[in-house]
Amino acid sequence: MKRKYELVYIVSPEATDAQVTDLHTQVDQIAQRLGGTIEKTDNWGRRKLAYEIGPHKEGTYVLETIDGGGELMKEIDRRLKVSDLVIRHLIVRTDEEQSVVDRTRSRRTENVRRRRVARGLPPDRQPGEGQRADVDDDRDDRFDMPEGLDR
Amino acid sequence: MNGSKRSFGGGGGRGKTGARGAQQGKDGQRRPMFRRRKVCKFCADKIDDINYKDMKLLMPFVPERAKILPRRISGTCALHQRKLRTAIMRARQLALIPYTAE
Repeated sequence: MKRKYELVYIVSPEATDAQVTDLHTQVDQIAQRLGGTIEKTDNWGRRKLAYEIGPHKEGTYVLETIDGGGELMKEIDRRLKVSDLVIRHLIVRTDEEQSVVDRTRSRRTENVRRRRVARGLPPDRQPGEGQRADVDDDRDDRFDMPEGLDR
Repeated sequence: MNGSKRSFGGGGGRGKTGARGAQQGKDGQRRPMFRRRKVCKFCADKIDDINYKDMKLLMPFVPERAKILPRRISGTCALHQRKLRTAIMRARQLALIPYTAE
């Protein structure tokens, strides 16, 4: 059962770069052992935490996109819980949400095309034509955050 | 497009700015009401994916007290408010957004 997960973990700010990469290789090894792969790794670097976690005020964030099964994620979860260097982690399954997003997106473009054809226009927006429509959009009373706030 | 916009518009059918001039509210307010019709930001901008990593997107919905901005103020539609809530809760777990303001 292949699923897509996103794993974000916050490494203690005291950890050296070598320790951060070491954690990554550990996760990678677990993934390989249990038949998964790491698709992407993204180190966000050191960030200030929104609130203090224990003694820490900042941490190094690492995001990994993992392809694998539930058992694998359970094992990674367990390992990260035990690890002293990782102060917080979050695992989110993304494939289902992503497929919903893709579906709504494709349905929308389909609808737009169908309606355009019904109006006797070519299915795709022509260059130059879109600009007028954009101006139209702006004139409409759209969601406006600051005004909504102060009411 | 128009149909969906109307159905998502909050503000209890108060209409566009100045469209209806003086509004006689049930609470006896007689002064002219100029209230902008609220539209769900995510429907209007066609944002399908409300991601917990997207701070720029989430921050306007978490004002100073760090509470989630209610639908009645932001005008977000029910579906997107729900997705927004999950995204904010995830971001809070990762200390990207505070739970409270101290």
